[in-house]
Amino acid sequence: MLDWLKNINKEHPEFWKEYLAKFSKKSNRYVILSTEATGDSIEKDVITFISAFAVVNDSISIKDSFETILLQYRFMHDNHLSNEYIIESRLLKLSEPEALKTFIEYLGNGILVGHQIQSDVAMINASLERLECGKLRNEALDIDIMHRKLNEINDDKELSLEELTDYYKIQKTHTNSTTEKAYKIALLFLKLKFKLGLK
Amino acid sequence: MNIIAGQIADFLKNYAPFNQLTSDQLAEIANNIRVINLEKKQTLFKINETLHDSFYVVASGVVNVSVIADAEESVINKCHEGTIFGLRPFFAKNKYKTTAKAREESLVYAIPIAVFKPLLANNSEVLNFLLENFASNLPEDRSSEGNIASDGFYSEKQSEAQFFQTLAYNTTPLLATSDNTAQEVAQLMAESLKNNVIIFEKSGPIGIVTHADLASKIATGRYPINIPVSNIMSSPVVTVLENVSLAEAQLLMLKNNVTHLCVTVDGTDKSTIKGVISEHDLIAAQASNPGVLIKEVKRSLSSNELKEIRARLTNLIQSSIQKNIPLTHITNIASEINFAVLKRAVELSILELGSPPARFAWLSIGSQGRKEQLLLTDQDSILVFEDVAQDKYIEVKDYFLKLGKKTTATLEKIGYGLCPNGHMASNMLWCKSLTDWIKQYNNWMNTTRENTDNLSSIFFDCELVIGELKIESAINNIISENAYNNNLFFDFLGNDALRKNSPLSFFKKFIVEEEGIHKDKFDIKTRALMPLIDSARLFTLSHEIKGINNTYTRFKQLAIADPKHSEIYLNCAEAYLFLTRIRTLEGIKNENSGQYINLEELSKNDREKLKNALIPMKELEELIKDKFQLTQFS
Repeated sequence: MLDWLKNINKEHPEFWKEYLAKFSKKSNRYVILSTEATGDSIEKDVITFISAFAVVNDSISIKDSFETILLQYRFMHDNHLSNEYIIESRLLKLSEPEALKTFIEYLGNGILVGHQIQSDVAMINASLERLECGKLRNEALDIDIMHRKLNEINDDKELSLEELTDYYKIQKTHTNSTTEKAYKIALLFLKLKFKLGLK
Repeated sequence: MNIIAGQIADFLKNYAPFNQLTSDQLAEIANNIRVINLEKKQTLFKINETLHDSFYVVASGVVNVSVIADAEESVINKCHEGTIFGLRPFFAKNKYKTTAKAREESLVYAIPIAVFKPLLANNSEVLNFLLENFASNLPEDRSSEGNIASDGFYSEKQSEAQFFQTLAYNTTPLLATSDNTAQEVAQLMAESLKNNVIIFEKSGPIGIVTHADLASKIATGRYPINIPVSNIMSSPVVTVLENVSLAEAQLLMLKNNVTHLCVTVDGTDKSTIKGVISEHDLIAAQASNPGVLIKEVKRSLSSNELKEIRARLTNLIQSSIQKNIPLTHITNIASEINFAVLKRAVELSILELGSPPARFAWLSIGSQGRKEQLLLTDQDSILVFEDVAQDKYIEVKDYFLKLGKKTTATLEKIGYGLCPNGHMASNMLWCKSLTDWIKQYNNWMNTTRENTDNLSSIFFDCELVIGELKIESAINNIISENAYNNNLFFDFLGNDALRKNSPLSFFKKFIVEEEGIHKDKFDIKTRALMPLIDSARLFTLSHEIKGINNTYTRFKQLAIADPKHSEIYLNCAEAYLFLTRIRTLEGIKNENSGQYINLEELSKNDREKLKNALIPMKELEELIKDKFQLTQFS
């Protein structure tokens, strides 16, 4: 709550100012987000993979997507992990600051959608803090909550992504990579959005 | 490249025309695709909507493309996985002529025209593929070329599925103005070998000159050949809307006693001329009638041709039902064509295997044998061959088994699924000599108690497909001889008929499936139709009514043979027709056997009717219990 006080004297990076400026307009673009992290701890763990698809006009745009490996040299080194297999892959690889910068530029003022999105957002906010930025300003929707709202479920049992995709009969993908997760969330979101009658 | 884009590219690669593109081009397309989710019955685009900036490929599910003719929506294409549709924006600038609606939950890929068009310029094969399919109007083109749904580009030349709805007609009629002379008009007709010329003014058509006019007014010498054509034309000309149906066109011609109709944009004589319908067009449209189908069956040389004809039969059945043609007529026509297809399938096998070493009879049993097969349900058949010398027996049996296998395989290709219980002539058990069959029937019917293992009631509905009539009558005789006063056997059949679960609960609610993939659906086949079919068989056998296999006619006959209960029988006959109708509609809609009815999709009216149709069954059941002492097997 006292964030603004803490940050009042800090000078934000340039890309952050641009990001904030985008919020003068309302967006009709949804950004479906899925991240991969080394663990659940906000302090200790780091994000290793960010994947996102944009949904505009009730359709998933394959082109308007984001897919990046975050090279966490320090984390790897501290925990004596090897990053050889990551280096091998053909995907785009960026360091954490670079990756977050491009992601923030990609995200803009879009509405975030994810499965248990709050943990994704918390993770990203933690990384942003390391870059001397504030917290994400985007509205965030959770498909699990949307599902519960649609079916008027009141208990607190959280459904896994798998259970949701089974429930809505979404085709299984070959593997379970972060990008495929993002894609499945996007499909779920389209269905839920239609059923809930969201504009 | 994004993993998902890669997966989409891999998917597209399996279907024309994408299989002709390089992987780079595919990647480019996949990268620009938008993925759209359609819920059941959600519309993607509608008739007269502005064109979208992309065309579509079905990724999963089924999308129906339909047109509207005679104020009726009729599906011209069911687009399955990999099918391209909505190509109109490629070739036309105006609005959609078709409606695309999801039949079930579906995913479609939208490919932007702007991305795809540059690829066309460098790849004429792909362009041709799209053009051909966009313009294609014949179902066989589509099946051979692949997966593009016709877009109704030439909406006046619809696929044959539409012959009940729309007509193919001349869209470039000869035109002349009223100050042309009769001679000029006659010359025009002679040159283009047409028999009519439309006379028009700025505002639209004002008359028509046909061969008949020239013959009666010029050739008789009543008018000189150089008078203005306005003096001899028939006026006013009868005008109609673009998508007039065959039936309507026929009526209009009869009513107005004319031989030609002029098609205009809004159906009045004050708008632009679009074409002319002649009597010949009506005859041509009727060429898809059942008689022609049978002729084509007789001429066809491969399972593919037969399959295509069977598909047209399905269309014929569908449109007939929609036109409320009595179901008994449809069943008669359909079973004639079905039998022709079956017969041809056997003939094709014989052509391949050489002539049979002995006389034989190929009998259809079950629903085919009862001539009740409207949908593509599974095939049931038996083969009986005449007795041969001991030393030849193995050789002969071998030939007929081969014949059976070949034919059932052909039929499977056409779309008749294999019988899950193996009741087919390709089965060792059901392909044997006449003596063996007689023994078999004797065993079944006289020592029923010991021989219930492989006994199925469908063996008592058989109909000759091809072969010796004598053999068929021998089988029928043995059945009726054995049935005479054979209480034990009737007990078995009676129990069999009553064993099926009742369709309604005590509170007159439908009993629906409780689990499995058909949960909450009503099993119309086992709960409603089978008891009727089984009881009809039981009663006809016990009343010694011979030669009638059809359930409907069986009930009708029973009403005559057993006047005391005629009302029950007649009610059952009607109920049977209604239930079949519901099942057939469901089956056509879902392209399956229609066994499970989704009650929620029925209108309230139909639901009530369905419930009423199930009531006579109760009376029939009582009648069975009353007439036969069902003690031996229960």
